[in-house]
Amino acid sequence: MATNVQQVAVSKPGASSGSQGNASEYVVRVPNDPLKKYSMIKFASGTDIDFLKLSHGKVKMERENNLRQYKTIYNLDAMPKFGAGSEYGREQKEEARRKKYGINIKKYNPNDQPWLMKVGDGKDCKRYKGVREGTISENTSYYIFTKCADGAFEAFPIEEWYNFQPVVKYKYLNSEEAEEEFSRRDKTMNLFSIMVRKRIKNEEETEEKPEDKKDKKKDKKSLILTDMEDWMETEDEEEEEEEAEEGAEKKPKKEKKEEKTKRRKNAKINADDEAVEESDEGDFDDRELDYISDSGSESSLDEKAKNDKYDDQGVDQEKGLKKLIDSEEESSEEENKEEDEEDEEEEAEKEAQSKKEKKKKKDSKENNKEAGGESDSSSSSSDSDDSDIDKNEDKFSSVLFMQEKKRSSRPNTPTVEKLEIKTEPKSEGGIKRKIEAEEGGAEKKVRTESPAPSLKTSASSSSISSSGEITEEAIRHYLTRRPMTAKELVQKFKAKKSQMSNEQLTQKIGQLLKKINPGRKYIKGVMYLSLEKTE
Amino acid sequence: MSQPPEEESARPLRDVDLRAAERGVWLVKVPKYLSEKWKRASGKGEVGKLKIISTKIPGAQPEVTFSMNEAQAQVQVPGRGTATPKEHKFKLTGVGNQNLVVFSENKGEGTTAAEITERIAIEGKVIQRAECQPVVDKSYMQLKKRHVEDSNKPKREIKQITGVVTTYKPVSNHAANIEHEKKIKEGGKRIRDERDVVTNKLFEIFEKHQYYNIQDLVRLTNQPVTYLKEILQDLCIYNMKAPHRNMYELKPEYRHYKEQK
Repeated sequence: MATNVQQVAVSKPGASSGSQGNASEYVVRVPNDPLKKYSMIKFASGTDIDFLKLSHGKVKMERENNLRQYKTIYNLDAMPKFGAGSEYGREQKEEARRKKYGINIKKYNPNDQPWLMKVGDGKDCKRYKGVREGTISENTSYYIFTKCADGAFEAFPIEEWYNFQPVVKYKYLNSEEAEEEFSRRDKTMNLFSIMVRKRIKNEEETEEKPEDKKDKKKDKKSLILTDMEDWMETEDEEEEEEEAEEGAEKKPKKEKKEEKTKRRKNAKINADDEAVEESDEGDFDDRELDYISDSGSESSLDEKAKNDKYDDQGVDQEKGLKKLIDSEEESSEEENKEEDEEDEEEEAEKEAQSKKEKKKKKDSKENNKEAGGESDSSSSSSDSDDSDIDKNEDKFSSVLFMQEKKRSSRPNTPTVEKLEIKTEPKSEGGIKRKIEAEEGGAEKKVRTESPAPSLKTSASSSSISSSGEITEEAIRHYLTRRPMTAKELVQKFKAKKSQMSNEQLTQKIGQLLKKINPGRKYIKGVMYLSLEKTE
Repeated sequence: MSQPPEEESARPLRDVDLRAAERGVWLVKVPKYLSEKWKRASGKGEVGKLKIISTKIPGAQPEVTFSMNEAQAQVQVPGRGTATPKEHKFKLTGVGNQNLVVFSENKGEGTTAAEITERIAIEGKVIQRAECQPVVDKSYMQLKKRHVEDSNKPKREIKQITGVVTTYKPVSNHAANIEHEKKIKEGGKRIRDERDVVTNKLFEIFEKHQYYNIQDLVRLTNQPVTYLKEILQDLCIYNMKAPHRNMYELKPEYRHYKEQK
């Protein structure tokens, strides 16, 4: 055989007779054109494409440009390279850092990017994406043998293989959703609803407009045996909504939203139920009779009772337990209710005098901070925000109230006190009092211990400063409390006497200071004025 | 990548030349040693002859044999011997239900410097697949033996050196350091320019980038550090928080950056 073939090979080209049949010889050429590069397109099995039919049609191809994606992955373009926001030498620094840590970023090679092919034109086109296939093996190479006009064969090596797949534009479920739907496949009748549902979910999430509530309410089936019923219900509702939608726009949307959220909730519940059932290996708890629960064993129930059994009612809601639980909660519930009411009232008051509120909040914070440390109530009052000395007067009243309140055994006092105090005549002082009350709540004990002396001093001091005049007495009073800088003094009086200009204020204060001649301390380079306490 | 500012947008699709789309071609799997020889074909590229014997028996595949030219057979492939079998048989198989199309890219000579002109053409559809298998003879066995030996050699080798390696020696002062010191000596200290001059220079500099390091500014303006810092205190603010830590940027009143598009 081998010799036969050899002989044939040696003989001239052309047909020659052999025992088997016609033999023809062709010369094989391997042209070496460096410019032409051959690649193979492999279409996914089942893809319907035939270039023969389309030979008069159009085919277009181009590499995909993923440079932008490449840059965002590696954060190469995060900062601008010049102009606003750019740093000098940023690129070099980044590169140096990468080299130092040996971070190698794969270079973006545009010749490795997938191909995009478009067959046909206009609306009727089909798009394909061709991804390169790796591992052209080291031991084989593929050649294309084509027959030339002169009867010789030409062989071209194929350098790359691309797998082309049609590009899908329709939406599909991702793996999680697919798993979900798969588990429900026996129950779903309408497969269209799956995608419709998905689309509506997406719309919901992007929807932000608040909408009016729909008036009509549906009677929902309280018993839902299978998901089928659930979907059927909601489908019916959907259809109805679509009809009504032509008229009213907002309402149905809101209803849908509710439906979907409910359905979603249900879906979740269902999923959970299923999971629980699967994993429940048989604690056999359901066989036990719970004395308080109404549910009994299955066999004794008839059809309706069985349906009722599946009703979603927590154990605590069942008649027996409910009473027990309710009685316990009653007392605490009542308390909470009362507090809530008070809070509401207090808030209403606050809104009425909204301007001062912010200031007060600041005050209250400061008060609460310092209140913990101070034992003397009068000193704490001076530590509180400086501009309001009126508070002292009100403190008088608040302390009184606190004494009364002490008798009620309430743990949370601040809110309650606020309520009571609001009956005071001075409306402006109302909020201030609240602050005082809060503070009072924190150190209520201390105050009640020594109400008498604090009352005295606070009363006296309040009378002095509340008048607002810049008197020697007032300054003395301030300086006795704590050392202050001249600036602070000015600030205090500024609030009172806003009519006077700064210069006038400082002049007056200066005069008075000379009279008083307070001691001077230097703390951190700032001069503080103080008066020794004289009792 | 040959375009200086790299394009990020999607390029328009190019037309594909479909003239040869109707051709039927053969896809042949060729062993490596053979393809290497073929790549080194000289002249017109004739490598051998293909003989097709069509059988009269219906349903049977024709026999195809490839035989190499004498000249071609003598072509030396570096790294391998010349001993390659001369006869190869083509084993023909069908394409199956795969749709295989061949296309080629023709890199033009570059009509415009910036663009790579590539013509894409469909070269044909695969109608037949074949494997080129050598007719086993002595030379083939030797070839394979050599092949196996080569591939079993480890790629990295440990060699014992005889002499002393003299690349790294302990040195009192490295060349780079010496150069650096010399440069500083010669360069001399930086001289203070007029304040206006420096300010103008700074404005120019800050037009290019927004954030600068103090060392970079010193280098660019060629001013002593303390003097420059004084000026910068007037003109610039010093960023201490990330992302631009320890960098100077012009004060807002001095800048008028256009919004980046």
